[in-house]
Amino acid sequence: MGIRLFFIGIILSALLGAGAYVMKLQKDNAILKGNAIKMESAIADQKNLIESQKKDFQEILDANNKMNELVNVLKKDLEDLDKRFNKKNRDVGKLAIAKTKSIERITNGASALATRCIEIASGSPLTEEEKNATKKSEINSECPSIANPNYVPY
Amino acid sequence: MLTLITFLTSCSSVKKLSIFKEEVAREKLNLNTPTPLELENLRWIIITSENADEVFKKLEEQGIDPVLWGLTDKDFELLAKNFARIRNQLVVTNKLLDKYKEYYEPKEKKDE
Repeated sequence: MGIRLFFIGIILSALLGAGAYVMKLQKDNAILKGNAIKMESAIADQKNLIESQKKDFQEILDANNKMNELVNVLKKDLEDLDKRFNKKNRDVGKLAIAKTKSIERITNGASALATRCIEIASGSPLTEEEKNATKKSEINSECPSIANPNYVPY
Repeated sequence: MLTLITFLTSCSSVKKLSIFKEEVAREKLNLNTPTPLELENLRWIIITSENADEVFKKLEEQGIDPVLWGLTDKDFELLAKNFARIRNQLVVTNKLLDKYKEYYEPKEKKDE
């Protein structure tokens, strides 16, 4: 009788142990499934982040290129101004002595255009005339790069 | 007693604390853009040794004080170039601000 009870006890313990083990396995399985879902979600998030970073890098690159283009265009305006003063060893002083009235007229005209350039640079909207200017006679020769967007130098 | 303790402890439950984070977008700065400049046009007068008397006489006739601030041709050239440089700097700085605004505060798509 004692031996029978002992074996029954062992069998019951084994059954309980097996049951507990199966339950633990089920619990682990559920955790692993949860982990897998989280990992998939994390991978998707990472992919989105990489895409977003790529987009940001492209935007930064584009912005830098645009700024460089602008600086070069403005540099050309400055070079053109230098040419107007010094082209072919031109001496504005001597010209002013020889043709005082016409140089005065040209100076005042250029001064008015340069003043308008400052207004545009400070954010003043372009007039229709400025926007539509395509000929040399129509443009603001002091700063065509900012005053006449449709003008292509020829 | 034992039954009572078992009964009470079995009924008590601890709620799981859930913490979540929600990203709140920073408010846009939205400063007003400065009013564009409206400048006055200057009048340049060229004086040479030959026309100086005539220029001053004309000024007096027009009721303007016969006094002028002078620049040599070289200084006039420098002044013109300085203004062009200031203008270019203004353009670059404004463009830079626009680019920053575009990058950090992109316009929301209207169709969404």
